[in-house]
Amino acid sequence: MTALRDILITGLLLGGLFALVSVGLTLQYGVARVLNVAHGEFIMVGAFLTFWLLGSVSLNPLLSLAITGPAAFIVGFILHKTLFRRLMHSSPSLDIFEGRSMLASFGLLYVVQNLARIIWGSDVEGYTFLNSTITGAQIPLNRLVALAFVVVLGGAFYFFLARTRLGKAIRASAQSPSTAQLMGVEINNVLAICFGLGLALAAIAGSLLSTFFAIQTTMGLGYTVIAMVVVVMGGLGSITGAMIGGIILGLVSSTVTFFHPSLTMIAYYVIFIVLLLARPKGIMGK
Amino acid sequence: MLAINGLSASYGNVQVLWDVCLRVDEGEFVALVGANGAGKTTLLNAVSGVMKPVSGSITFMGHRVDGSSPNTIVNLGLSHIPESRQVFTDMSVRENLEMGAYPARAWKDRRATMKRVFGLFPRLEERAGQFARNLSGGEQQMLALGRGLMSLPKMCMIDEPSNGLAPRIVSEIFEILTSLHKEGITILLVEQNVRQTLAIADRAYVLENGHNALDGACCDLVESDHVRKAYLGH
Repeated sequence: MTALRDILITGLLLGGLFALVSVGLTLQYGVARVLNVAHGEFIMVGAFLTFWLLGSVSLNPLLSLAITGPAAFIVGFILHKTLFRRLMHSSPSLDIFEGRSMLASFGLLYVVQNLARIIWGSDVEGYTFLNSTITGAQIPLNRLVALAFVVVLGGAFYFFLARTRLGKAIRASAQSPSTAQLMGVEINNVLAICFGLGLALAAIAGSLLSTFFAIQTTMGLGYTVIAMVVVVMGGLGSITGAMIGGIILGLVSSTVTFFHPSLTMIAYYVIFIVLLLARPKGIMGK
Repeated sequence: MLAINGLSASYGNVQVLWDVCLRVDEGEFVALVGANGAGKTTLLNAVSGVMKPVSGSITFMGHRVDGSSPNTIVNLGLSHIPESRQVFTDMSVRENLEMGAYPARAWKDRRATMKRVFGLFPRLEERAGQFARNLSGGEQQMLALGRGLMSLPKMCMIDEPSNGLAPRIVSEIFEILTSLHKEGITILLVEQNVRQTLAIADRAYVLENGHNALDGACCDLVESDHVRKAYLGH
């Protein structure tokens, strides 16, 4: 019974983190059409920034979210305004832009990962934070706190997309950029904001992850792969799909890891293939 | 209000418009008719800033707008209601209307404007909470029109509202256009449904293969041999 509860809590936590990361990738791919293979690198950067801020200025890891998220947003906004927007305007069609943006983001992956390696090395790092367990539970407190943060942040982000003027403009742009423009949406700004928000979600997920997982400068790519699986599984471009897909994959991860950790990756792909056979366009695909 | 002079536009190497001129005065109901592929939609896209013209000038309310971005043009009070409705299918009817009020000057009044739009289209109010994809074609066209009104435009450019709709619904839509015009909105209507269009508009332009072919008061055009042969089928 306690095992089941622990699997569920860990699964929801991982699922929530996967969901944040995947929603971030969906904003980049579904709205800005950038197939960002460097997405996971910003999870790594978020994790290491939190680790570094704790070590250098003893900043509480949970407070560091208020730095890593906005910093990643600014980097993403500028990257889109300078690099990806130019690529988009010089590409003859959006399909060609997708290919080119992927190549450019491969370059970004190497730049970010190698910079991180110069700064932080390539060893496994980590710190202890809220490591105790509350009475009766096997799960350390840090995971429960991270879960609470994921739920609140995910809820807040959902509210932002569902209720605010900018959030609605983002959803409208995801469905039809040209019609959104006719409504008066400044599409170039919205695309840059989406790219920045995508990176911010990745960095925030990374910061939270570092409170309970060991981190390494090469950790990014694994999460990029997970996010891509989730985005395809959820239905390309669907934000709700990415949320549901992320939570499913998180629950699969915690369940399989409990029985046999080395089978986790295989389980992801089994679920992925089965779901795509049943629903070729993804959970929320049309 | 809107003056287009010597407008040429092309998609890549394919030129679609040659030296087209068109004028719409305040309070007018002007129609732009022509066959499929005559360049009517291209002309609207050039005016609303979705595509950049090759040459020529477009002036709206005294501002040169050729080459301006679409949001600048919407902000000036020109609303483009696009071909095949283009409603946001994954958003509710209410959210679609809210998107129409995106320009800052319209956003703050969106609730009052929405009430007015619901007055014009009671069926949209009944369906306010539904996803736009669940509406019928006629309802989607009403939504597209309502959304176009949410930006508080002085002038609307409406692209083929009758497209794909049953004749009864088309008449209903055309009645709504007439009542919008009576409320003081200047209208440029693009249509292939020439007979009904000439019956409700004041003046019309006929576009053929990207060139100005004819223009004049609708009552005169209906009598013209060319229009009768080419568009009215007798």
